[in-house]
Amino acid sequence: MLRSVVALSCALLPLSFGLQAEEADAAKTAKIDAILTQHVLPNFEALAQTTATLATVAHENCSPDSEALQIAYHNAFDAWTRVSHLRFGPSEVNNRAFALAFWPDPRGKTPKALARLLADQDVALLTPEAFEELSIAARGFYALEYLLFEPQLQQPAAYACALVEAGTADIARLSARIAADWPDYADQMRQAGGDSPYQTQDEVTQEFFKALLTGLQFTTDMRLGRPLGSFDRPRPKRAEARRSARGRQTVALAVAELAELAALLAEDDSSLERELAGAFGEVAENIDTLESPDLSQVSDALGWMQVDMVRLGLHDRIVEELMPPLGEQLGVPAGFNALDGD
Amino acid sequence: MRASRRGFLTGLLASSLTPQLTWADVGAPRFLAAAKTPDGTFRLFGLAQNGEALFDLPLPGRGHAAAAHPTRPEAVAFARRPGTFAQVINCANGAVTATLTSPEGRHFTGHGAFDLAGDLLLTPENDYENGMGCVAIWDRRRGYRRVGDLPSGGIGPHEMLRLPVGLDGAERFVIANGGIDTHPESGRSPLNLPTMRANLTLMDLNGGLEVVELDSALRLNSIRHLAVRPDGLLAFAMQWQGADGTHPPLLGLIRWGEAPRLVQAPAPQHAGMKNYAGSVAFSGDGRQVAITSPRGNAVQLFDAATGAFLRQVDETDVCGLSALEGGFVLTSGKGVIRHIGAEGAPARHDLAFDNHLIAV
Repeated sequence: MLRSVVALSCALLPLSFGLQAEEADAAKTAKIDAILTQHVLPNFEALAQTTATLATVAHENCSPDSEALQIAYHNAFDAWTRVSHLRFGPSEVNNRAFALAFWPDPRGKTPKALARLLADQDVALLTPEAFEELSIAARGFYALEYLLFEPQLQQPAAYACALVEAGTADIARLSARIAADWPDYADQMRQAGGDSPYQTQDEVTQEFFKALLTGLQFTTDMRLGRPLGSFDRPRPKRAEARRSARGRQTVALAVAELAELAALLAEDDSSLERELAGAFGEVAENIDTLESPDLSQVSDALGWMQVDMVRLGLHDRIVEELMPPLGEQLGVPAGFNALDGD
Repeated sequence: MRASRRGFLTGLLASSLTPQLTWADVGAPRFLAAAKTPDGTFRLFGLAQNGEALFDLPLPGRGHAAAAHPTRPEAVAFARRPGTFAQVINCANGAVTATLTSPEGRHFTGHGAFDLAGDLLLTPENDYENGMGCVAIWDRRRGYRRVGDLPSGGIGPHEMLRLPVGLDGAERFVIANGGIDTHPESGRSPLNLPTMRANLTLMDLNGGLEVVELDSALRLNSIRHLAVRPDGLLAFAMQWQGADGTHPPLLGLIRWGEAPRLVQAPAPQHAGMKNYAGSVAFSGDGRQVAITSPRGNAVQLFDAATGAFLRQVDETDVCGLSALEGGFVLTSGKGVIRHIGAEGAPARHDLAFDNHLIAV
């Protein structure tokens, strides 16, 4: 009896190891598929749809006063914000994402490029082909924001209007190309190995982890850190999209998407998943308390501290405390030098 | 493992009174490396050949690399990019003898080089308001006063080093212009990917420049780190900024005036470097050249004459690399100091060594 038990367990051991490995692979497959179908693909489809609507609305009425145009602008910018952390694959082909979102712009290249276009009034530059050759600083959502919300860049009205029309059509084309390429790229992410840019499933989840980390850092350092400056010297004019007063909205949407991606990456029902949900929930509550949609509240002490609370929640709690264990779960070596990149 | 700093300094108090100390007076460290300590502070370490820490000194922030004076026990520790200060440290007593501050609108790149006589220190700088690379010149004889600057020959300069003096007796420097335009307000995000083009620039102190670019298909391959052999053979290491899924070479060899030669390991191992080389060095005998990848957790060795791939050594978060008799010595973010092809057992410190290991 004893002998047979031993024999049985010896025979089972390799088999159960094999099963565990298979189960682990199946779990990774399911995780990657969930991220793609719930998080990535629908968001890029929404970007393509909202930007197509934006271009149509601008074609009908390209005046900065058009309420319909402003609504379409905000909807499309929201959709961009939701994918702004997914900077790999189709969005990076031919600098598409860069052309959609040239920000931050510390040297003020966007207003300079637009002022030059408005001064020259060269209609030949407004064809789709010519527009794609323009400086990236003159394209995308941030250039459009100037044209719609900065009175100094709205004259002469006819050319400014034509520029809005050409710019929105360009945004729609770029977005459509990214969205069109994503299903194939998603298949490559599902089928690591062979010709796929990813050799293993771990490389795929690590790509998403990197996107999560980069998105957190961008929101912390740029979207919040730029207007915060320092307590003694806040920099409200450095806030993202302040002319259309969408800094708070952009932070809220970006954080919601990052929270979703983090939840999809973390092991189901793990204590880490619950901690992440709690920490992101707290950040979201703090964002809700912000009073200024353009983050101009950083100019007064209390307002500054409220915005800083959001930043600290993202940085100290999520980036510093919760990202290392998540990276560990995903097999990302959290190297001192590997993360430095210099 | 850490040497007792107090004992070391006590021994030095007497000798520091002598005006002309040499490296031998500070225990003859072979290498300098910046590191993060377990309590989260940053220090500069002088290391013996066997990895023993001979001295360590506080740094105000995270370091990157250092420049060792050719003869005096004096090191210039550079802050990690985009730091705006560098400290000249008397390695005998830990005193900061000078602080270099980059002017408004500029920042250091973490590297620098002395001229042959040790009178001038050259520091690559990013002129970020104009998106231009510069090389500033500091005069040691005048307390490291900034005496001028020259164009670096490209955008985003990173490391520079002095070439061995040629037959004409002229002193020349090579600058790795990484090609990436950055601005501190947008962190390390590249601002110019559509037009980025890395290059190697040969510079003399009269401002003469000769620029070498790689094939335009490799324009997104950021040339960042350099090593030179006494006969003038230059090795350069790259970091790919282009699309994932392609794996361009990460190591090049060039003799100035000839075409560069790019070398790489066979496909699977080359891809394992994750498109990122963090440091490059020749072996002590000059016959081999190696690159490290902290992202790929590997060192790859090549024959410096033929470019043939020799072997790979795995080491987690490896980055620092320098020559040693018979081979190389590496450092890692996990505190490891290890010899490759040279005598000596690995040492481990409770430290995270920063990117570069500087030979004294």
